[in-house]
Amino acid sequence: MSEFMDKLHSTFVEGDRWKYLTNGLKNTLIITFFAVILGMVLGFLIAIVRSSHDKTGKMKILNFFAKIYLTVIRGTPVMVQLLIIYYVIFASVRIDKMFVGILAFGLNSAAYVAEIVRSGIMSIDNGQFEAGASLGLNYRKTMFYIIMPQAFKNVLPALGNECIVLLKETSVAGYIALEDLTKGGDIIRSVTYEAFLPLIAVALIYLVIVMFMTYLVSRLERRLAKSDRG
Amino acid sequence: MKGRDFTMKKILSVLSVGVIFAACLTGCGTPKNTVHNANDLEGKIIGTQLGTTGYIFAQDVKDAKVEGYNKGADAVQALKQGKIDAVIIDSEPANEFVKKNKGLQILPDAFAEEEYSIAYKKGNDELGEKIDKALTDLKADGTIGRIMKHWIGSNPDQRSYKIDEKIERTGVLTMATNAEFPPYESMDNGQIVGIDVDIMNAICDELGYALKIDNMEFDSIIAAVNSGKADVGVAGMSVTPEREENVSFTQGYAVSKQVIIVRAD
Repeated sequence: MSEFMDKLHSTFVEGDRWKYLTNGLKNTLIITFFAVILGMVLGFLIAIVRSSHDKTGKMKILNFFAKIYLTVIRGTPVMVQLLIIYYVIFASVRIDKMFVGILAFGLNSAAYVAEIVRSGIMSIDNGQFEAGASLGLNYRKTMFYIIMPQAFKNVLPALGNECIVLLKETSVAGYIALEDLTKGGDIIRSVTYEAFLPLIAVALIYLVIVMFMTYLVSRLERRLAKSDRG
Repeated sequence: MKGRDFTMKKILSVLSVGVIFAACLTGCGTPKNTVHNANDLEGKIIGTQLGTTGYIFAQDVKDAKVEGYNKGADAVQALKQGKIDAVIIDSEPANEFVKKNKGLQILPDAFAEEEYSIAYKKGNDELGEKIDKALTDLKADGTIGRIMKHWIGSNPDQRSYKIDEKIERTGVLTMATNAEFPPYESMDNGQIVGIDVDIMNAICDELGYALKIDNMEFDSIIAAVNSGKADVGVAGMSVTPEREENVSFTQGYAVSKQVIIVRAD
């Protein structure tokens, strides 16, 4: 037992090593937060372009670029994208790593969000569009007042899942020497040569955040479901 | 069919525009070197490989921001692109990196000399003593000196140590290493080669073991030795008090020092 306490002490207390974890956690949360926003905004825009093209045949050029974007982003691993953004696109530029992280994970997430939201829009019965048209609403108004609210409710679990995936995917940020939560644990591991405690601590922190996010999503789902029972 | 060809052309043209754009960004000038001696490191951004003695030294530099990369080569890449100001790394890999990358130089200021040793699990003194004795013998008969000459010095031919096929092998010795550390260990044609591999092969010839090499991240090596996943850790690893708390070391087999790489003026 005292050996365990010694390890606990050398892993977290000695040399203020717990700060690697709290600092890493801060960076992980910042990256995830802004990447989720970037991913949601861009993803919704792409989804609208793609589904509008599917429904009306308009926006050919935008749809073409969106398709290329989805192909490239979904066809390559996020870690490779991160390295490309850091070492190739921003070569020879001293750039803030947090910005690179947010950009890489946000752009990556956008592609998945776009397909999730598009599936939600396409799942709404065509009769809803016709109902909108019969009420005298144009396409844009039908989309925003009738289709989107229903679609959003349908895809909410999938979007919540995407946020969770994004949070966990940021653990590869250490490859560009960005000190996120995983890297914080790695740094402790590299000075104490003790694998168990830092890795378990990092895993527990991720788990707690994901459980909290799941709780938030389920609360939001329940709130939105209230209108169903009317 | 025609429509699909047209789409392919469009995709290709868009991709090529993207590549050209990226190439333009790559060509932009890198910032000038601002580190001319060890004192200049103060307040600068220093890149190192995580878990190396360079990483420990860099943390002692006043006001400096230390970045721990997974590989020494990644830190050197970041240095070349002007993302960091200097890299602190072992002298021999530094020579290799500077040889292969134009526009880099090693500063004459160096940190204290250190000795590379072979790490083994604490309490496994039987193996440790055997290896230690083999090292003494190999030093005495000049084998280690010959291996070094193949990799370091004025005219290295990078020829690997020739394993004696006639020796009967009674067991397997697993060596944990990080093959990102030329000339001590690096990948060549899908094989791990270098001084450490040659020395371990010579030791295995002496002791009648077959050598198995396990390639991993540098900061995982000691954990691998401790958990019994590997028998020895051989990765240009110098003896530090922190490491000695976790594993035992044999006598040294090579000397090295940490040096500072910066962009050429």
